[in-house]
Amino acid sequence: MACFNPVPKLYRSVIEDVIEGVRNLFAEEGIEEQVLKDLKQLWETKVLQSKATEDFFRNSIQSPLFTLQLPHSLHQTLQSATASLVIPAGRTLPSFTTAELGTSNSSANFTFPGYPIHVPAGVTLQTVSGHLYKVNVPIMVTQTSGRAGILQHPIQQVFQQLGQPSVIQTSVPQLNPCCLQATTEKSQRIETVLQQPTVLPSGPVDRKHLENATSDILVSPGNEHKIMPEALLRHQESSQYVNLPGVVFSPQVSQTNPNVESVLSGSASMTQNLHDESLSTSPHGALHQHVTDIQLHILKNGMYGCESVKQPRNTEEPSNIPVSEKDSNSRVDLSIRVTDDDTGEIIQVDGTGDTSSNEEIGSARDVDENEFLGVIDAGDLKVLEEEADSISNEDSATNSSDNEDPQVDIVEEDPLNSGDDVSEQDVPDLFDTDNVIVCQYDKIHRSKNKWKFYLKDGVMCFGGRDYVFAKAIGDAEW
Amino acid sequence: MAYQLYRNTTLRNSLQESLDELIQSQQITPQLALQVLLQFDKAINSALAQRVRNRVNFRVFLNTYRFCDNVWTFVLNDVEFREVTELTKVDKVKIVACDGKNTGSNTTE
Repeated sequence: MACFNPVPKLYRSVIEDVIEGVRNLFAEEGIEEQVLKDLKQLWETKVLQSKATEDFFRNSIQSPLFTLQLPHSLHQTLQSATASLVIPAGRTLPSFTTAELGTSNSSANFTFPGYPIHVPAGVTLQTVSGHLYKVNVPIMVTQTSGRAGILQHPIQQVFQQLGQPSVIQTSVPQLNPCCLQATTEKSQRIETVLQQPTVLPSGPVDRKHLENATSDILVSPGNEHKIMPEALLRHQESSQYVNLPGVVFSPQVSQTNPNVESVLSGSASMTQNLHDESLSTSPHGALHQHVTDIQLHILKNGMYGCESVKQPRNTEEPSNIPVSEKDSNSRVDLSIRVTDDDTGEIIQVDGTGDTSSNEEIGSARDVDENEFLGVIDAGDLKVLEEEADSISNEDSATNSSDNEDPQVDIVEEDPLNSGDDVSEQDVPDLFDTDNVIVCQYDKIHRSKNKWKFYLKDGVMCFGGRDYVFAKAIGDAEW
Repeated sequence: MAYQLYRNTTLRNSLQESLDELIQSQQITPQLALQVLLQFDKAINSALAQRVRNRVNFRVFLNTYRFCDNVWTFVLNDVEFREVTELTKVDKVKIVACDGKNTGSNTTE
Protein backbone atom coordinates (compact mmCIF):
# COMPACT_ATOMS: atom_id res chain seq x y z
CA MET A 1 0.00 0.00 0.00
CA ALA A 2 1.82 2.99 -1.21
CA CYS A 3 -0.37 5.37 0.67
CA PHE A 4 0.35 3.58 3.88
CA ASN A 5 4.07 3.50 3.42
CA PRO A 6 5.35 5.50 0.47
CA VAL A 7 8.98 4.85 1.27
CA PRO A 8 9.49 1.63 -0.71
CA LYS A 9 7.86 3.03 -3.79
CA LEU A 10 9.80 6.26 -3.49
CA TYR A 11 13.08 4.47 -3.06
CA ARG A 12 12.41 2.26 -6.01
CA SER A 13 11.61 5.22 -8.18
CA VAL A 14 14.76 7.00 -7.05
CA ILE A 15 16.83 3.97 -7.89
CA GLU A 16 15.28 3.77 -11.31
CA ASP A 17 15.85 7.45 -11.93
CA VAL A 18 19.46 7.27 -10.90
CA ILE A 19 20.16 4.20 -12.98
CA GLU A 20 18.56 5.77 -16.00
CA GLY A 21 20.37 8.99 -15.36
CA VAL A 22 23.79 7.38 -15.29
CA ARG A 23 23.17 5.00 -18.14
CA ASN A 24 24.55 7.50 -20.60
CA LEU A 25 27.48 8.18 -18.35
CA PHE A 26 28.31 4.51 -18.26
CA ALA A 27 28.00 4.28 -22.01
CA GLU A 28 30.30 7.24 -22.49
CA GLU A 29 32.85 5.65 -20.22
CA GLY A 30 32.66 2.49 -22.25
CA ILE A 31 31.39 0.45 -19.35
CA GLU A 32 29.23 -2.54 -20.03
CA GLU A 33 25.56 -2.57 -19.35
CA GLN A 34 26.06 -5.50 -17.04
CA VAL A 35 28.00 -3.31 -14.64
CA LEU A 36 25.06 -0.98 -14.40
CA LYS A 37 22.79 -3.90 -13.72
CA ASP A 38 25.15 -5.12 -11.05
CA LEU A 39 25.12 -1.70 -9.45
CA LYS A 40 21.37 -1.67 -9.41
CA GLN A 41 21.21 -5.14 -7.99
CA LEU A 42 23.76 -4.37 -5.32
CA TRP A 43 21.94 -1.21 -4.37
CA GLU A 44 18.58 -2.87 -4.12
CA THR A 45 20.03 -5.71 -2.11
CA LYS A 46 21.57 -3.38 0.40
CA VAL A 47 18.37 -1.40 0.78
CA LEU A 48 16.55 -4.67 1.15
CA GLN A 49 18.90 -5.86 3.85
CA SER A 50 18.57 -2.70 5.81
CA LYS A 51 15.57 -2.18 7.98
CA ALA A 52 14.70 0.98 6.16
CA THR A 53 11.81 -0.49 4.29
CA GLU A 54 9.83 -3.52 5.21
CA ASP A 55 7.93 -3.82 2.00
CA PHE A 56 10.86 -3.44 -0.30
CA PHE A 57 11.30 -7.13 -0.66
CA ARG A 58 8.11 -7.57 -2.56
CA ASN A 59 9.76 -6.82 -5.82
CA SER A 60 13.19 -7.90 -4.93
CA ILE A 61 15.23 -9.47 -7.61
CA GLN A 62 16.62 -12.29 -5.58
CA SER A 63 14.21 -15.14 -5.35
CA PRO A 64 15.16 -18.35 -3.66
CA LEU A 65 14.40 -21.61 -5.31
CA PHE A 66 13.08 -24.66 -3.68
CA THR A 67 11.38 -27.74 -4.88
CA LEU A 68 8.34 -29.43 -3.58
CA GLN A 69 8.04 -33.07 -4.31
CA LEU A 70 4.75 -34.71 -3.84
CA PRO A 71 4.37 -38.43 -3.73
CA HIS A 72 2.41 -40.32 -6.27
CA SER A 73 -0.07 -41.39 -3.65
CA LEU A 74 -0.90 -37.83 -3.08
CA HIS A 75 -1.85 -37.15 -6.61
CA GLN A 76 -5.00 -39.11 -6.50
CA THR A 77 -5.90 -37.42 -3.32
CA LEU A 78 -5.35 -34.03 -4.68
CA GLN A 79 -7.26 -34.85 -7.75
CA SER A 80 -10.32 -35.12 -5.69
CA ALA A 81 -9.59 -32.00 -3.80
CA THR A 82 -11.99 -29.24 -4.33
CA ALA A 83 -9.37 -26.55 -4.49
CA SER A 84 -6.75 -26.46 -7.14
CA LEU A 85 -3.17 -26.42 -6.18
CA VAL A 86 -2.08 -22.99 -7.13
CA ILE A 87 1.18 -21.90 -5.67
CA PRO A 88 2.33 -18.77 -7.35
CA ALA A 89 5.49 -17.12 -6.29
CA GLY A 90 5.42 -13.51 -7.17
CA ARG A 91 4.34 -13.30 -10.71
CA THR A 92 6.68 -15.70 -12.35
CA LEU A 93 5.43 -19.07 -11.31
CA PRO A 94 2.93 -20.96 -13.31
CA SER A 95 0.00 -22.39 -11.52
CA PHE A 96 -0.22 -26.06 -10.91
CA THR A 97 -3.56 -27.66 -11.14
CA THR A 98 -4.49 -31.00 -9.84
CA ALA A 99 -4.76 -32.28 -13.33
CA GLU A 100 -1.13 -31.65 -13.85
CA LEU A 101 -0.36 -33.53 -10.73
CA GLY A 102 -2.21 -36.51 -11.93
CA THR A 103 -0.40 -36.79 -15.19
CA SER A 104 2.91 -37.84 -13.76
CA ASN A 105 3.31 -41.26 -12.34
CA SER A 106 6.14 -40.42 -10.09
CA SER A 107 6.47 -37.66 -7.66
CA ALA A 108 5.97 -34.24 -9.06
CA ASN A 109 8.49 -31.51 -8.72
CA PHE A 110 7.48 -27.97 -8.40
CA THR A 111 10.02 -25.26 -8.43
CA PHE A 112 9.25 -21.98 -6.84
CA PRO A 113 11.51 -19.22 -7.93
CA GLY A 114 10.57 -16.92 -5.18
CA TYR A 115 8.17 -15.45 -2.76
CA PRO A 116 5.46 -14.96 -1.88
CA ILE A 117 3.93 -18.37 -2.01
CA HIS A 118 0.28 -18.82 -1.67
CA VAL A 119 -0.87 -22.19 -0.56
CA PRO A 120 -4.57 -22.44 -1.01
CA ALA A 121 -6.93 -24.56 0.93
CA GLY A 122 -7.14 -28.22 0.28
CA VAL A 123 -3.47 -28.66 -0.37
CA THR A 124 -1.93 -31.55 1.43
CA LEU A 125 1.63 -31.14 2.46
CA GLN A 126 4.09 -33.57 3.88
CA THR A 127 6.85 -32.81 6.22
CA VAL A 128 10.28 -34.33 6.25
CA SER A 129 9.34 -36.98 8.74
CA GLY A 130 6.60 -38.16 6.50
CA HIS A 131 3.56 -36.80 8.18
CA LEU A 132 0.80 -35.56 6.04
CA TYR A 133 -0.97 -32.36 6.70
CA LYS A 134 -3.77 -30.72 4.94
CA VAL A 135 -4.08 -27.01 4.57
CA ASN A 136 -7.49 -25.91 5.58
CA VAL A 137 -7.23 -22.23 4.94
CA PRO A 138 -5.23 -20.29 2.45
CA ILE A 139 -1.77 -19.57 3.59
CA MET A 140 0.61 -17.02 2.29
CA VAL A 141 4.27 -17.66 2.69
CA THR A 142 6.34 -14.59 2.35
CA GLN A 143 9.97 -13.88 2.65
CA THR A 144 11.38 -12.03 5.55
CA SER A 145 14.61 -10.19 5.55
CA GLY A 146 17.51 -10.36 7.88
CA ARG A 147 16.81 -13.69 9.40
CA ALA A 148 19.42 -15.91 8.01
CA GLY A 149 19.53 -19.43 9.09
CA ILE A 150 16.22 -19.64 10.77
CA LEU A 151 14.60 -22.87 10.09
CA GLN A 152 11.14 -23.36 8.91
CA HIS A 153 9.80 -26.55 10.20
CA PRO A 154 6.71 -26.71 12.25
CA ILE A 155 4.30 -27.40 9.50
CA GLN A 156 2.51 -29.90 11.63
CA GLN A 157 1.68 -27.02 13.81
CA VAL A 158 -0.60 -25.73 11.22
CA PHE A 159 -1.98 -28.57 9.36
CA GLN A 160 -4.33 -31.33 9.97
CA GLN A 161 -2.58 -34.58 10.45
CA LEU A 162 -3.80 -37.31 8.21
CA GLY A 163 -3.01 -40.65 6.79
CA GLN A 164 -0.17 -43.09 6.92
CA PRO A 165 3.37 -41.94 7.03
CA SER A 166 5.24 -42.49 3.87
CA VAL A 167 8.72 -41.84 2.78
CA ILE A 168 8.83 -38.64 0.96
CA GLN A 169 11.96 -37.03 -0.13
CA THR A 170 12.23 -33.41 -0.73
CA SER A 171 15.22 -31.74 -2.12
CA VAL A 172 16.00 -28.19 -1.49
CA PRO A 173 18.49 -27.07 -4.03
CA GLN A 174 19.16 -23.83 -2.34
CA LEU A 175 18.17 -22.72 1.08
CA ASN A 176 18.69 -19.05 0.92
CA PRO A 177 19.72 -17.09 3.92
CA CYS A 178 16.42 -15.39 3.84
CA CYS A 179 14.08 -17.76 5.48
CA LEU A 180 10.52 -18.36 4.66
CA GLN A 181 8.02 -17.24 7.09
CA ALA A 182 4.37 -17.07 6.73
CA THR A 183 3.25 -13.62 7.50
CA THR A 184 -0.17 -12.29 7.62
CA GLU A 185 -0.93 -9.98 4.84
CA LYS A 186 -2.05 -6.58 5.64
CA SER A 187 -4.86 -6.82 3.22
CA GLN A 188 -6.05 -10.24 4.15
CA ARG A 189 -6.27 -12.13 7.35
CA ILE A 190 -4.48 -15.37 7.06
CA GLU A 191 -5.22 -17.87 9.69
CA THR A 192 -4.59 -21.51 9.95
CA VAL A 193 -6.93 -24.02 11.28
CA LEU A 194 -6.29 -27.35 12.75
CA GLN A 195 -9.03 -29.80 12.63
CA GLN A 196 -10.61 -30.79 15.85
CA PRO A 197 -9.79 -34.18 17.23
CA THR A 198 -13.10 -35.52 16.20
CA VAL A 199 -12.24 -35.06 12.62
CA LEU A 200 -8.75 -36.41 12.90
CA PRO A 201 -8.46 -40.06 12.12
CA SER A 202 -7.64 -42.22 15.02
CA GLY A 203 -5.79 -44.78 12.99
CA PRO A 204 -4.49 -45.33 9.55
CA VAL A 205 -6.19 -43.22 7.06
CA ASP A 206 -7.26 -44.37 3.69
CA ARG A 207 -7.16 -42.24 0.72
CA LYS A 208 -10.86 -42.32 0.72
CA HIS A 209 -11.01 -40.88 4.14
CA LEU A 210 -8.65 -38.22 3.06
CA GLU A 211 -10.87 -37.40 0.19
CA ASN A 212 -13.85 -37.24 2.40
CA ALA A 213 -12.05 -35.08 4.83
CA THR A 214 -11.07 -32.83 2.04
CA SER A 215 -14.56 -32.37 0.86
CA ASP A 216 -15.83 -31.79 4.34
CA ILE A 217 -13.37 -29.13 5.12
CA LEU A 218 -14.59 -25.71 4.38
CA VAL A 219 -12.22 -23.01 3.53
CA SER A 220 -13.00 -20.28 5.91
CA PRO A 221 -10.55 -17.54 6.53
CA GLY A 222 -12.58 -16.46 9.43
CA ASN A 223 -12.00 -19.60 11.38
CA GLU A 224 -10.13 -19.16 14.56
CA HIS A 225 -6.93 -20.90 15.16
CA LYS A 226 -6.95 -24.05 17.20
CA ILE A 227 -3.98 -26.11 17.99
CA MET A 228 -4.36 -29.61 19.22
CA PRO A 229 -0.90 -30.70 20.08
CA GLU A 230 -2.08 -33.73 21.93
CA ALA A 231 -4.04 -35.02 19.02
CA LEU A 232 -1.15 -34.50 16.71
CA LEU A 233 1.22 -36.26 18.97
CA ARG A 234 -1.14 -39.14 19.30
CA HIS A 235 -1.24 -39.66 15.62
CA GLN A 236 2.35 -39.02 15.03
CA GLU A 237 3.37 -42.51 14.31
CA SER A 238 0.54 -43.22 12.01
CA SER A 239 0.45 -40.12 9.97
CA GLN A 240 2.02 -38.67 6.98
CA TYR A 241 3.89 -35.50 6.64
CA VAL A 242 4.22 -33.36 3.66
CA ASN A 243 7.52 -31.74 3.35
CA LEU A 244 7.47 -28.18 2.30
CA PRO A 245 10.89 -27.13 3.34
CA GLY A 246 11.51 -23.63 4.26
CA VAL A 247 7.97 -22.93 5.30
CA VAL A 248 6.81 -21.69 8.59
CA PHE A 249 3.23 -20.80 9.06
CA SER A 250 2.17 -18.35 11.61
CA PRO A 251 -0.75 -19.83 13.42
CA GLN A 252 -2.21 -16.66 14.68
CA VAL A 253 -3.92 -13.56 13.57
CA SER A 254 -2.17 -10.55 12.34
CA GLN A 255 -2.31 -8.67 15.58
CA THR A 256 0.08 -10.97 17.26
CA ASN A 257 1.93 -11.89 14.17
CA PRO A 258 5.30 -10.46 15.00
CA ASN A 259 5.23 -12.08 18.38
CA VAL A 260 4.31 -15.41 16.99
CA GLU A 261 6.87 -15.15 14.29
CA SER A 262 9.54 -14.56 16.81
CA VAL A 263 8.35 -17.45 18.88
CA LEU A 264 8.12 -19.73 15.93
CA SER A 265 11.43 -18.73 14.57
CA GLY A 266 12.99 -19.26 17.92
CA SER A 267 11.51 -22.67 18.28
CA ALA A 268 12.07 -23.52 14.69
CA SER A 269 15.72 -22.75 14.94
CA MET A 270 16.06 -25.72 17.21
CA THR A 271 15.23 -28.02 14.41
CA GLN A 272 17.40 -26.39 11.86
CA ASN A 273 20.26 -28.81 12.02
CA LEU A 274 17.92 -31.67 12.21
CA HIS A 275 16.04 -30.49 9.24
CA ASP A 276 19.09 -29.93 7.16
CA GLU A 277 20.23 -33.43 7.80
CA SER A 278 16.94 -34.94 6.94
CA LEU A 279 16.46 -33.06 3.81
CA SER A 280 17.53 -35.76 1.47
CA THR A 281 17.16 -38.78 3.66
CA SER A 282 14.22 -40.76 4.72
CA PRO A 283 12.79 -39.33 7.84
CA HIS A 284 12.86 -42.33 10.04
CA GLY A 285 15.03 -43.80 12.64
CA ALA A 286 16.79 -41.88 15.29
CA LEU A 287 15.62 -38.58 14.04
CA HIS A 288 12.06 -39.41 14.74
CA GLN A 289 12.41 -39.15 18.45
CA HIS A 290 14.10 -35.83 18.17
CA VAL A 291 11.44 -34.65 15.87
CA THR A 292 8.86 -35.81 18.31
CA ASP A 293 10.33 -33.83 21.11
CA ILE A 294 10.81 -30.82 19.01
CA GLN A 295 7.35 -31.01 17.63
CA LEU A 296 5.97 -31.08 21.11
CA HIS A 297 8.01 -28.08 21.97
CA ILE A 298 7.04 -26.25 18.84
CA LEU A 299 3.41 -27.06 19.26
CA LYS A 300 3.44 -25.85 22.76
CA ASN A 301 5.17 -22.73 21.74
CA GLY A 302 2.73 -22.20 18.99
CA MET A 303 -0.16 -22.85 21.23
CA TYR A 304 0.94 -20.45 23.84
CA GLY A 305 2.98 -18.34 21.54
CA CYS A 306 0.97 -15.26 21.72
CA GLU A 307 0.46 -15.54 25.38
CA SER A 308 3.94 -16.56 26.25
CA VAL A 309 5.41 -13.61 24.52
CA LYS A 310 3.40 -11.38 26.72
CA GLN A 311 3.83 -13.43 29.83
CA PRO A 312 7.36 -12.43 30.61
CA ARG A 313 6.07 -8.99 31.04
CA ASN A 314 4.30 -9.85 34.21
CA THR A 315 4.88 -7.09 36.59
CA GLU A 316 6.99 -8.11 39.44
CA GLU A 317 5.78 -7.54 42.91
CA PRO A 318 7.00 -4.33 44.39
CA SER A 319 10.10 -4.73 46.38
CA ASN A 320 9.72 -5.04 50.04
CA ILE A 321 9.38 -1.82 51.85
CA PRO A 322 12.65 -1.09 53.51
CA VAL A 323 11.50 -1.61 57.01
CA SER A 324 14.95 -1.05 58.27
CA GLU A 325 14.87 2.56 57.26
CA LYS A 326 13.32 3.62 60.46
CA ASP A 327 15.76 1.65 62.44
CA SER A 328 18.67 3.16 60.64
CA ASN A 329 17.33 6.60 61.20
CA SER A 330 16.91 5.95 64.85
CA ARG A 331 20.40 4.71 65.00
CA VAL A 332 21.64 7.87 63.43
CA ASP A 333 19.76 9.92 65.92
CA LEU A 334 21.25 8.01 68.73
CA SER A 335 24.68 8.47 67.36
CA ILE A 336 24.21 12.17 67.18
CA ARG A 337 23.03 12.30 70.69
CA VAL A 338 25.95 10.29 71.83
CA THR A 339 28.25 12.60 70.02
CA ASP A 340 26.67 15.56 71.65
CA ASP A 341 27.09 14.14 75.07
CA ASP A 342 30.67 13.29 74.47
CA THR A 343 31.57 16.66 73.12
CA GLY A 344 29.72 18.30 75.93
CA GLU A 345 31.89 16.48 78.38
CA ILE A 346 34.99 17.31 76.47
CA ILE A 347 34.20 21.00 76.15
CA GLN A 348 33.58 21.64 79.81
CA VAL A 349 37.20 21.64 80.73
CA ASP A 350 37.01 25.19 81.94
CA GLY A 351 34.11 24.55 84.11
CA THR A 352 31.19 26.93 84.45
CA GLY A 353 30.97 30.51 83.34
CA ASP A 354 31.68 29.90 79.73
CA THR A 355 29.76 31.90 77.17
CA SER A 356 31.27 32.62 73.76
CA SER A 357 32.88 29.28 73.29
CA ASN A 358 29.63 27.57 73.97
CA GLU A 359 27.92 29.60 71.29
CA GLU A 360 30.37 28.50 68.69
CA ILE A 361 30.75 24.96 69.67
CA GLY A 362 27.40 24.19 70.99
CA SER A 363 25.39 25.69 68.18
CA ALA A 364 24.16 22.32 67.16
CA ARG A 365 23.48 21.24 70.68
CA ASP A 366 20.71 21.78 73.08
CA VAL A 367 20.19 25.33 74.20
CA ASP A 368 20.46 24.32 77.78
CA GLU A 369 24.16 23.91 77.51
CA ASN A 370 24.67 27.60 76.84
CA GLU A 371 23.69 28.69 80.29
CA PHE A 372 27.24 29.05 81.42
CA LEU A 373 28.75 32.52 81.41
CA GLY A 374 32.27 33.52 82.05
CA VAL A 375 35.61 34.69 80.87
CA ILE A 376 37.66 32.44 78.80
CA ASP A 377 41.40 32.43 79.06
CA ALA A 378 43.57 32.38 75.97
CA GLY A 379 44.78 28.94 76.74
CA ASP A 380 41.31 27.71 77.22
CA LEU A 381 40.32 29.40 74.03
CA LYS A 382 42.92 27.46 72.14
CA VAL A 383 41.67 24.24 73.60
CA LEU A 384 38.21 25.24 72.68
CA GLU A 385 39.34 26.00 69.18
CA GLU A 386 40.75 22.55 68.84
CA GLU A 387 37.57 21.12 70.13
CA ALA A 388 35.62 23.27 67.78
CA ASP A 389 37.60 22.03 64.83
CA SER A 390 36.93 18.46 65.67
CA ILE A 391 33.29 19.18 66.19
CA SER A 392 33.00 21.29 63.09
CA ASN A 393 33.92 18.28 61.07
CA GLU A 394 30.72 16.74 62.25
CA ASP A 395 28.51 19.77 62.18
CA SER A 396 30.28 21.92 59.68
CA ALA A 397 27.22 23.23 57.93
CA THR A 398 25.56 24.57 61.02
CA ASN A 399 28.68 25.94 62.62
CA SER A 400 29.89 27.96 59.70
CA SER A 401 26.80 30.07 59.67
CA ASP A 402 27.09 30.91 63.31
CA ASN A 403 30.73 31.75 63.31
CA GLU A 404 30.98 35.24 64.70
CA ASP A 405 34.54 35.02 65.87
CA PRO A 406 36.90 35.41 62.93
CA GLN A 407 39.56 33.45 64.77
CA VAL A 408 37.42 30.39 64.91
CA ASP A 409 37.42 29.33 61.32
CA ILE A 410 36.22 26.07 60.09
CA VAL A 411 39.12 24.50 58.34
CA GLU A 412 37.16 22.30 56.01
CA GLU A 413 34.18 23.78 54.33
CA ASP A 414 32.49 23.18 51.03
CA PRO A 415 33.87 25.10 48.11
CA LEU A 416 31.92 28.22 47.55
CA ASN A 417 29.13 27.92 45.08
CA SER A 418 29.91 24.30 44.56
CA GLY A 419 26.27 23.55 44.14
CA ASP A 420 25.83 26.12 41.43
CA ASP A 421 27.62 24.14 38.79
CA VAL A 422 25.27 22.50 36.37
CA SER A 423 26.64 19.44 34.72
CA GLU A 424 26.43 19.94 31.00
CA GLN A 425 26.09 17.15 28.53
CA ASP A 426 28.91 16.69 26.18
CA VAL A 427 28.08 18.37 22.93
CA PRO A 428 29.23 15.53 20.74
CA ASP A 429 27.13 13.05 22.68
CA LEU A 430 24.20 15.37 22.64
CA PHE A 431 24.15 15.56 18.89
CA ASP A 432 25.01 11.93 18.43
CA THR A 433 21.92 9.93 17.82
CA ASP A 434 20.64 7.42 15.34
CA ASN A 435 17.30 9.10 14.97
CA VAL A 436 17.93 11.79 12.41
CA ILE A 437 15.72 13.91 10.22
CA VAL A 438 17.24 15.62 7.22
CA CYS A 439 14.93 18.11 5.62
CA GLN A 440 14.48 21.68 4.48
CA TYR A 441 12.85 24.41 6.47
CA ASP A 442 10.29 26.86 5.24
CA LYS A 443 10.14 28.81 8.45
CA ILE A 444 11.44 28.53 11.98
CA HIS A 445 9.56 30.69 14.45
CA ARG A 446 10.31 31.40 18.06
CA SER A 447 8.35 33.26 20.69
CA LYS A 448 10.09 33.35 24.04
CA ASN A 449 10.67 29.68 24.62
CA LYS A 450 7.99 28.44 22.24
CA TRP A 451 9.25 27.26 18.89
CA LYS A 452 7.38 26.47 15.73
CA PHE A 453 8.86 24.47 12.89
CA TYR A 454 7.66 24.52 9.33
CA LEU A 455 9.63 21.86 7.52
CA LYS A 456 9.39 20.18 4.16
CA ASP A 457 10.84 17.43 1.98
CA GLY A 458 12.27 15.41 4.80
CA VAL A 459 13.65 11.93 5.28
CA MET A 460 13.39 10.53 8.77
CA CYS A 461 15.27 7.59 10.15
CA PHE A 462 14.04 6.13 13.41
CA GLY A 463 15.60 2.95 14.68
CA GLY A 464 16.78 2.02 11.23
CA ARG A 465 13.42 2.50 9.60
CA ASP A 466 12.95 5.28 7.10
CA TYR A 467 10.06 7.65 6.74
CA VAL A 468 9.50 10.56 4.42
CA PHE A 469 7.31 13.61 4.53
CA ALA A 470 6.41 16.45 2.24
CA LYS A 471 5.46 18.82 5.02
CA ALA A 472 6.06 18.74 8.73
CA ILE A 473 4.76 21.16 11.29
CA GLY A 474 5.99 21.01 14.83
CA ASP A 475 5.66 22.74 18.15
CA ALA A 476 8.36 22.71 20.75
CA GLU A 477 9.10 24.20 24.07
CA TRP A 478 12.60 24.90 25.08
CA MET B 1 22.30 22.92 -7.41
CA ALA B 2 20.64 20.23 -5.37
CA TYR B 3 21.33 19.95 -1.72
CA GLN B 4 23.72 17.27 -0.60
CA LEU B 5 21.60 17.13 2.46
CA TYR B 6 20.27 13.65 1.87
CA ARG B 7 23.62 11.96 1.81
CA ASN B 8 23.21 10.57 5.29
CA THR B 9 20.27 8.37 4.47
CA THR B 10 19.92 4.65 4.10
CA LEU B 11 19.34 4.89 0.39
CA ARG B 12 22.34 7.07 -0.17
CA ASN B 13 24.62 5.02 2.05
CA SER B 14 23.69 1.81 0.32
CA LEU B 15 24.44 3.43 -3.02
CA GLN B 16 27.79 4.55 -1.71
CA GLU B 17 28.62 1.05 -0.56
CA SER B 18 27.62 -0.45 -3.87
CA LEU B 19 29.77 2.01 -5.73
CA ASP B 20 32.68 1.28 -3.43
CA GLU B 21 32.41 -2.40 -4.24
CA LEU B 22 32.45 -1.72 -7.93
CA ILE B 23 35.42 0.58 -7.54
CA GLN B 24 37.30 -2.06 -5.62
CA SER B 25 36.60 -4.59 -8.32
CA GLN B 26 37.75 -1.93 -10.79
CA GLN B 27 34.57 -2.08 -12.74
CA ILE B 28 34.04 1.66 -12.50
CA THR B 29 36.23 4.62 -11.81
CA PRO B 30 35.93 6.88 -8.78
CA GLN B 31 35.06 9.74 -11.10
CA LEU B 32 32.11 7.83 -12.42
CA ALA B 33 31.04 6.96 -8.89
CA LEU B 34 31.06 10.65 -8.05
CA GLN B 35 28.88 11.37 -11.03
CA VAL B 36 26.47 8.72 -9.87
CA LEU B 37 26.27 10.31 -6.45
CA LEU B 38 25.58 13.70 -7.95
CA GLN B 39 22.85 12.14 -10.02
CA PHE B 40 21.44 10.67 -6.83
CA ASP B 41 21.33 14.09 -5.19
CA LYS B 42 19.28 15.44 -8.05
CA ALA B 43 17.00 12.45 -8.11
CA ILE B 44 16.26 12.42 -4.40
CA ASN B 45 15.58 16.15 -4.29
CA SER B 46 13.27 15.84 -7.23
CA ALA B 47 11.53 12.78 -5.88
CA LEU B 48 10.89 14.29 -2.48
CA ALA B 49 9.55 17.46 -3.99
CA GLN B 50 7.27 15.79 -6.47
CA ARG B 51 6.34 12.34 -5.33
CA VAL B 52 5.83 12.69 -1.62
CA ARG B 53 2.61 14.20 -0.43
CA ASN B 54 2.16 13.23 3.19
CA ARG B 55 2.23 15.55 6.14
CA VAL B 56 3.55 15.01 9.61
CA ASN B 57 2.89 16.85 12.82
CA PHE B 58 4.94 16.66 15.94
CA ARG B 59 5.14 18.00 19.42
CA VAL B 60 8.44 17.95 21.22
CA PHE B 61 10.60 19.27 23.94
CA LEU B 62 13.41 21.20 22.43
CA ASN B 63 16.74 20.36 23.98
CA THR B 64 19.15 22.40 21.89
CA TYR B 65 19.07 24.53 18.80
CA ARG B 66 21.81 25.73 16.54
CA PHE B 67 21.80 27.98 13.54
CA CYS B 68 24.96 28.23 11.52
CA ASP B 69 25.56 28.84 7.84
CA ASN B 70 21.85 28.92 7.24
CA VAL B 71 21.49 25.44 8.61
CA TRP B 72 19.34 24.72 11.60
CA THR B 73 20.22 21.83 13.85
CA PHE B 74 17.83 20.85 16.59
CA VAL B 75 17.97 18.14 19.18
CA LEU B 76 14.54 17.17 20.37
CA ASN B 77 13.47 14.97 23.24
CA ASP B 78 10.31 12.95 23.74
CA VAL B 79 9.18 13.41 20.18
CA GLU B 80 5.80 12.29 19.03
CA PHE B 81 5.33 12.22 15.27
CA ARG B 82 1.77 12.06 14.21
CA GLU B 83 0.78 11.10 10.73
CA VAL B 84 -2.65 10.39 9.42
CA THR B 85 -2.15 6.68 9.65
CA GLU B 86 0.32 6.16 12.41
CA LEU B 87 1.95 7.60 15.48
CA THR B 88 5.63 7.27 16.17
CA LYS B 89 7.34 8.11 19.42
CA VAL B 90 11.04 8.62 19.78
CA ASP B 91 13.11 9.63 22.78
CA LYS B 92 15.69 11.70 21.00
CA VAL B 93 15.81 13.11 17.52
CA LYS B 94 18.21 15.33 15.67
CA ILE B 95 16.86 17.55 12.92
CA VAL B 96 19.14 19.04 10.31
CA ALA B 97 17.33 21.49 8.11
CA CYS B 98 18.62 23.52 5.22
CA ASP B 99 16.94 26.57 3.86
CA GLY B 100 14.05 25.55 1.72
CA LYS B 101 13.51 28.94 0.15
CA ASN B 102 15.62 30.68 -2.46
CA THR B 103 15.53 33.90 -0.54
CA GLY B 104 14.90 32.29 2.75
CA SER B 105 14.98 34.01 6.10
CA ASN B 106 13.92 32.80 9.47
CA THR B 107 11.82 34.85 11.81
CA THR B 108 12.54 35.13 15.48
CA GLU B 109 11.34 37.36 18.24
